[in-house]
Amino acid sequence: MSGTLDRGAALPGAQGGDPQPLEVVVGLVLRAGVTLSSACLAVGVVLSMFGASAAAADILLHVGVIVLLATPVARVVASIVQYVGGRDWPFAALTAIVLLELMASVVAALVFNKRL
Amino acid sequence: MTSAPLALIIFAAGAVAGSLGALLGLGGGVFLVPFLNLGLGFPFGVAAAISLTTVIATSSSVSAARAGKQLINMKLGMLLEVATAGGSLLGGVTAQLVAQSTLQRLFGVLSALVAVIMLSRLRRRNVILDPTVDPGVLGGRYHEAESGGVVTYRVKRLPVAIGASFLAGSVSSLLGIGGGFIKVPVLNAWCGIPLRAAAATSAFMIGVTATAGAVIYYGHGQLVPALAAAAILGVQLGSWGGMRFGAAASVKWLKVLMAVVLFVISVMMLARGIR
Repeated sequence: MSGTLDRGAALPGAQGGDPQPLEVVVGLVLRAGVTLSSACLAVGVVLSMFGASAAAADILLHVGVIVLLATPVARVVASIVQYVGGRDWPFAALTAIVLLELMASVVAALVFNKRL
Repeated sequence: MTSAPLALIIFAAGAVAGSLGALLGLGGGVFLVPFLNLGLGFPFGVAAAISLTTVIATSSSVSAARAGKQLINMKLGMLLEVATAGGSLLGGVTAQLVAQSTLQRLFGVLSALVAVIMLSRLRRRNVILDPTVDPGVLGGRYHEAESGGVVTYRVKRLPVAIGASFLAGSVSSLLGIGGGFIKVPVLNAWCGIPLRAAAATSAFMIGVTATAGAVIYYGHGQLVPALAAAAILGVQLGSWGGMRFGAAASVKWLKVLMAVVLFVISVMMLARGIR
């Protein structure tokens, strides 16, 4: 991690100054995911309580949950893209491992899914 | 289909858990799981699954609001996520194979343990006051509104942080909590990270951590979307309120409140798990 000396020297100044692009991108991804998911869930829950269309409510609720579950995954993917763009290979690799772990949990979910 | 009163109760419980969670730098799951399991009588796995989805929502919205303020230590967070996500995967699989009473006892023991840790380290601040100090690759610095100064810190004992993160990840998926209640005290007490930065970084990580677990519960059919939706919307409202109030609350007061609440939860969970 200390292999890039020139970048290391620039770090203290960069950390105290403007918001880093990574933080901005991550913030946008998280906000977009939560907003979309909450909107689906809100409409879905209202429909399921008062509405006539149970099927539509059910679809919206599942979409809301899936979008929510996908939000941190999207944040991890965005981080990998940012780290690769900044040629920060150690952190690109670490974040890629996190993505692999998330994919492994999807595999575990499919194994436990009794409907398949 | 979900009845309107039940959805409203879960929404309200979510709002309370979310505001407490935001005040304490936790996901809120540590309050929601006992309420859903002991209060409303849902199976532990169903309570845990609902709680994990609220943890994801809280983590995402809180971190989105904080992004750009340097309070979240992204590099440390990404590094420790390797451990939390791995632990979460293990915990999520284990949770499908273990009895409910075992999980309840574990919940009781862990919450009491952390309450003791919090109380024993009430006056520590772990702050390097000289702003010119180099925080290193994993350290950080941020502006603290209370003191008006810049707080700079280095990360000490990284292996301890990694170990605690793996444990927190496992416990997160097993018990349906964010795991912040393990990571935050450890990062603060042993790794030299100021409480606010530790809480913000933990809150950032728990979204990914909880996802690794929640996906498994969803696959197993234990995640009921209608109940999760009511809880998520309540928690979103509550954490929004808690965040606005949280910046003005004192750290010491937060620690004492956290410890008391954890003791109460511990006793209730042990009583149910041992019966």
